[in-house]
Amino acid sequence: MALFGALLLVSMVVVYLLQPIVQGKSALMQRDYDETTEAEARRRIALLALRDAEFDYHTGKLDQADYSELKSRLAAEALEAIRQVEGVDEADLEAEIRKVREGLREGRACGSCGHLNPAGSKFCAACGTALAARETAGSA
Amino acid sequence: MNVLGELALWTALPVAAWGMVLGFLGGRQNRGDMVRSAERAVYATFGLTILASLGVIDTFLNDRFEYWYVASYSSRDLATFYKISGLWAGQRGSLLFWLLLLALFSSIAVWSNSRKNREFMPNVVGTLMTVQTFFLVVLLFADVNPFEQLGFTPVDGNGLNPQLQNYWMTIHPPTLYLGFTAFSIPFAFGVSALLTGRLDSRWITVTRKWTLLSWFFLSNGIVFGMRWAYEELGWGGYWFWDPVENASLLPWLTATAFLHSIQIQENRGMLKIWNMGLVLMTFLLTIFATFLTRSGLIESVHTFAQELKIAYIFLSFMFFIAATGTILILYRLPKLRSESRIESFISRESAFLFNNLVLLAATFAVMWGTLLPLISEGFMGQEISVGPPFFNRVNLPIGLFLLFLMGVGPVIAWRKATPKNLKKNFLGPVIVAAVVGVVLWAMGIRHGMALTTFITSTFVMSIIVVEFWKGTRARSRIEGSGVLPAFWHLVTRNRRRWGGYIVHVGIVMIFTAFAGAPWNVDVEQTLDPGDVAEITSPFGHTYRLTYEGMSTNINDREQNLAWQAVALMTVEKDGRRVGTLSPEKRQYLNRNGNPNATEVGIRSSVAEDLYVILADVDLEGVVGRNDPTAQQAHFRFMVKPLVGFIWGGIMVLSLGGLIGLWPSAEKVRSASTSAPSSGPAVAAAGD
Repeated sequence: MALFGALLLVSMVVVYLLQPIVQGKSALMQRDYDETTEAEARRRIALLALRDAEFDYHTGKLDQADYSELKSRLAAEALEAIRQVEGVDEADLEAEIRKVREGLREGRACGSCGHLNPAGSKFCAACGTALAARETAGSA
Repeated sequence: MNVLGELALWTALPVAAWGMVLGFLGGRQNRGDMVRSAERAVYATFGLTILASLGVIDTFLNDRFEYWYVASYSSRDLATFYKISGLWAGQRGSLLFWLLLLALFSSIAVWSNSRKNREFMPNVVGTLMTVQTFFLVVLLFADVNPFEQLGFTPVDGNGLNPQLQNYWMTIHPPTLYLGFTAFSIPFAFGVSALLTGRLDSRWITVTRKWTLLSWFFLSNGIVFGMRWAYEELGWGGYWFWDPVENASLLPWLTATAFLHSIQIQENRGMLKIWNMGLVLMTFLLTIFATFLTRSGLIESVHTFAQELKIAYIFLSFMFFIAATGTILILYRLPKLRSESRIESFISRESAFLFNNLVLLAATFAVMWGTLLPLISEGFMGQEISVGPPFFNRVNLPIGLFLLFLMGVGPVIAWRKATPKNLKKNFLGPVIVAAVVGVVLWAMGIRHGMALTTFITSTFVMSIIVVEFWKGTRARSRIEGSGVLPAFWHLVTRNRRRWGGYIVHVGIVMIFTAFAGAPWNVDVEQTLDPGDVAEITSPFGHTYRLTYEGMSTNINDREQNLAWQAVALMTVEKDGRRVGTLSPEKRQYLNRNGNPNATEVGIRSSVAEDLYVILADVDLEGVVGRNDPTAQQAHFRFMVKPLVGFIWGGIMVLSLGGLIGLWPSAEKVRSASTSAPSSGPAVAAAGD
């Protein structure tokens, strides 16, 4: 009985281990589509730095002069990284950024998901957050 | 069950080795089928290890004393609870338990990455299975098999050391082991990054939560051990710089360093080599800690000589890992160059770097102090004892400097901070700290180290409070919302940062508790029933303890006790009766030859603990003859100010850790929406 149990256990393990090789069942070997590449990681770092600098400025850890200098440098780095990732040409990118900036100023860009809504929207078309409350947040 | 368990253990070895070979090979040859088989080996080893562990627990529950391990650590009258925890009570079981937890974490890591991070996984599996193979080799070939039989069946076992029959001692080792084993996952990803050559921060991002989880368990495990020592060892302390304690502290120190330095790599693309070195070192220290505590090395170098086999296997493995890791890092050196450099000496990254250097200094000091006596005794036959004074002298200044950095780091901006800003940010907290310092001085506190700690702690706390306040205000301005929602968003949008600050609060509390130690009151008195002892606490309270008498309780089978002698004391605080304390002497039924044990009486309040030890009593008279005239007893009374802050601190620390570990909303959102279209400006508005 014990011997039978032992044989059963061992053979179950062996079958379990060999099945993928015998039947040619493959594990996923490639990186997934939504995963960050090295260029994307660089973009992330640049954007994080920009985010941190902005926050440091808001909480008074950076003064105006340092912040402006740092921000233009970081923005350039971020743009460079974004270009690498998305292969967007510069004019497009500038236009895109201008649009987002404008949107933010006018309170059309959603503060929680970033979606740019048509002028006069009260709620974000993408996530449903109320936009009205954010109109005063143009300075951000 | 026990036969099945042993069989499972033997089967697990070839399965783990299979997973190791096919993991590496499949990765190298890009063979998906091999990798799949290797991943199945991870699950299979986990299953087999569960069977083996159940087998060990089964031998305990059924009093199978023909097994050496059960005979040594259990007895018929041991409570069921402690029979189950027998799995990690001794060396043999705890090695299996280590393997079980590692197999669990490995399975979770493989399962949760079954559709992502695929390029890392073959070598991750290979690395994890290498570690598991190692532990299986130890278990099966180093004379520590928990299924080893004696060849005869004793009538009863030796019983469990009474000092281990304590709630804290039951959860302390598993918690530490969870911490040790969880760190294998970041290590495996690090090795995989080196092998595959994908050396950006991806491996760190993927394993960040594992690192935090490991650190969370290590911190808790260490404090549980302190709590056990405090309650059970009966000398009124919680930390003695004992080699076993130090062994658990070492990986905690380097893991703390790693937790900080990975932030620089993620934010600035720097310190890649350093991080690889730290992950390697921390992993080695988790193995080293297991080796130190579970190889018999600590008890004495002489008894250790009988267990040479396990030592050789452990040392060879550590050498192999260290050598392979170093070679891999050297091989990848060109690809590990920093993407940016430190721009200013006064910046957050340089504060982080300081923190790392200081933590490493502490690591080496503790390691040196721990190993020196062993090395000296082993090689020169000379006993040197390196006691608490050495560790305190070295580590107190280091700890203070760390505390100081904890205040400075968060306030300095990344990249560059200007003197003007420093002044603006530091002025308030410095003033608060100085005022507190002056007040404490005026109150008569002259102990230099403690006073410095209190002042620095105040400084750090006010910085953190101001950080939270400024952050909330900035968010509230950005969002145009009220204070509470702004505070909530502040924390939830960057859990890591704000959770980290809460962890810092916990650490500050623990440091404050340490600094209370110079005011410990320690009084010894011999009392007859009806006598009163008076103790004045440093906070000015007066405790009056009346010794009411001694009661004995013989042969309480339920608690596995031969007898217990309980002294009853009523406690008055400032003239008001607040309760009773009952310090005890106990003798457990066991054949380990343990002398009687001491159970202390503790009365805790926020500010201080009253701690009473029944130091000596005429046991022959009280227990043997039940003589009512023999009740005179010798007591030690202690007042321990601020000690409760340690236990409070670990709770706050854990809360901060959990905030950091909680799945972030950002991730959930990015998973639900396909392409986040937020431009840089919006991302920057996040915080």
